Amino acid sequence: MSGQTQRLNVVPTVTMLGVVKARLIGATRGHALLKKKSDALTVQFRAILKKIVATKESMGEAMRASSFSLAEAKYVAGDGVRHVVLQSVRSASLRVRSHQENVAGVKLPKFTHFVDPAGASSPSLTGLARGGQQVSACRAAHVKAIEVLVELASLQTSFLTLDEAIKTTNRRVNALENVVKPRLENTITYIKGELDELEREDFFRLKKIQGYKRREVERQMMAAKLFAEEQLAEDLALKRGVSMGATTNILVGGGDKDEDIIF
Amino acid sequence: MYSWEMLSFNIHDGFLEAIVRGNRSGLLTQADYNNLCQCETLDDIKMHLSATEYGPYLQNEPSPLHTTTIVEKCTLKLVDEYKHMLCQANEPLSTFLQYITYGHMIDNVVLIVTGTLHERDVNELLEKCHPLGMFDSIASLAVAQNMRELYRLVLVDTPLAPYFSECITSEDLDDMNIEIMRNTLYKAYLQDFYKFCAKLGGATADIMCNLLSFEADRRAVNITINSIGTELTRDDRRKLYSNFGLLFPYGHEELAVCEDVDQVRGVMEKYPPYQSIFAKISYGESQMLDKAFYEEEVKRLRLSFEQQFHYAVFFAYMRLREQEIRNLMWISECVAQNQKNRVHDSVVTIF
Amino acid sequence: MAGRSNIPANNSALIAIIADEDTVTGFLMAGVGNVDLRKKTNYLLVDNKTTVKQIEDAFKEFTAREDIAIVLISQYIANMIRFLVDSYNKPIPAILEIPSKDHPYDPASDSVLSRVKYLFSADSVASDRR
Repeated sequence: MSGQTQRLNVVPTVTMLGVVKARLIGATRGHALLKKKSDALTVQFRAILKKIVATKESMGEAMRASSFSLAEAKYVAGDGVRHVVLQSVRSASLRVRSHQENVAGVKLPKFTHFVDPAGASSPSLTGLARGGQQVSACRAAHVKAIEVLVELASLQTSFLTLDEAIKTTNRRVNALENVVKPRLENTITYIKGELDELEREDFFRLKKIQGYKRREVERQMMAAKLFAEEQLAEDLALKRGVSMGATTNILVGGGDKDEDIIF
Repeated sequence: MYSWEMLSFNIHDGFLEAIVRGNRSGLLTQADYNNLCQCETLDDIKMHLSATEYGPYLQNEPSPLHTTTIVEKCTLKLVDEYKHMLCQANEPLSTFLQYITYGHMIDNVVLIVTGTLHERDVNELLEKCHPLGMFDSIASLAVAQNMRELYRLVLVDTPLAPYFSECITSEDLDDMNIEIMRNTLYKAYLQDFYKFCAKLGGATADIMCNLLSFEADRRAVNITINSIGTELTRDDRRKLYSNFGLLFPYGHEELAVCEDVDQVRGVMEKYPPYQSIFAKISYGESQMLDKAFYEEEVKRLRLSFEQQFHYAVFFAYMRLREQEIRNLMWISECVAQNQKNRVHDSVVTIF
Repeated sequence: MAGRSNIPANNSALIAIIADEDTVTGFLMAGVGNVDLRKKTNYLLVDNKTTVKQIEDAFKEFTAREDIAIVLISQYIANMIRFLVDSYNKPIPAILEIPSKDHPYDPASDSVLSRVKYLFSADSVASDRR
């Protein structure tokens, strides 16, 4: 059974035709809606794509700035500062919060970063004697970089989610367009065909019965006519004095007698 | 005035002074820096350095070089030179040389204590310690959980013991206290070093006291600026200032109450030697202050080579080498990160 | 069905980092680092002693952890475990490739950007960039 000739396995009745027709209307509406959704998602998707590329660029900038500020901090505060930082990690004060954003029924994750006041007090006295300012400048630069990175992360996640969603939607659109709708249409044609066939059979049957009836009537008419003619002939004979029956009888009787005569 | 030094200095310390002055001529020159600033990659830097005294230390490094590797190797050279000098030294020069490293020792102790507080691996911590500040019992620092224990178990055997007796009052250790502890220790160290140098007398005392005063004043200014806006109280701040130097005691009183950079500037401009430093910096800007101080320090260190028969040359040499390593780090960072227009911002040329 | 996959509305998630020492130091300075009670860190410091296996393990661990929302990974490290990064397709945690200071950023080998390029012709991406 190829895709084109597929149809639903239904009893071809008028009720079924109604049901299938309703389904076809539903499928068409769904198809239109999904198509719209897919378009909306694609628009969103393109916008996100542009943003991703732009943000990736600015991320490069931010990262460069932040790693350079680290170099500055290291220059002033000495190389040891990084060990101090590495050793004094306790719990994160900068965290991200994720929530959802709804775009055409697709839930997109969004991240926002926030400073957790409950987190450990940041080592604000690092480099008290030398380079404290560079250290805090470096921290600020990295917080900025994190901002960009978090934004990029939301964009990227949205990108992946949307990508997947668009694929699913397109798959559904295509499924409706190329499988469900033709199948329903095929079913409708099939049911219609069957119904027509039935109708034709009925018609033919009616025609047959009609013909039969007419022939019967004709026969009776013929019989009646014949009878009337006979009646008429008898009447004439009676008027001439010879009964039709007598003549007939003579003939019949003569026939009986001359059995052997050939001619 | 210094005639008796001329008579006796060379008996004990003449050889080492000759060595340190010889080493001094190995410091990178302006021409070297110019060449280094032209480099495109870290390998170019390595090539340029191979013509200098750093050559043997870098030649076996495999090719993707990192800035940290360069800095490590250059520090290694400094450490080797230092050890060489220490082996040859007599009293009191050997004590003097050891004094130079106490600063790193304090940093190492603080690092280990910090690491211990956060339950890090001791061996990992030891790798990160500055090689100049190593001492024998450093590994056992990790067992200590509070200051008293730390002092009793480990530090009492180290030269740092007297410094710790001052800050032993703080019972519990946290990030804030550790940074204060580091600076209290450093203050005690500077004061002790100052006293030691004054005791040596002669040209050494003269020059070293000048250098250490500058160091103390610089710390005072930096602590003031960096503690603006933090939880450090004024009294705490004042406690971290060393009790000598040009700013002592009236400048300290004024610095202790400063609330922004411009007030600090107002205080400092009353002192002629620092006027020139602050004059270079525009109002409200404090970022370039560190560099200005470094330049001033280098200038003073360089001048100490002008006199003979004193110990300050050793101090000056070590400090200049450290500055040189900082310069190299800066240049290689700039080269590695493609920020060559910033190369000249922070390089302090020495000779 | 990524659209239906549940995205936990987590109110405080962490950012994990796999990078070289300087980058990690910088981000830890910013306050990203976290060490929990079992001394598990949310960052991996990669130096020349770190094996690829360790990186792989860390990557798998970070991507499997519930409390991590974003994984930052240096691009040159991502290149070492490219197959893992490329085969990863969950929305959360998000994988971000970041440039490191010794290695300039190369948009061509970024797994997401390459997917972008796969979806759209190369010139449309190039024109987007302008």
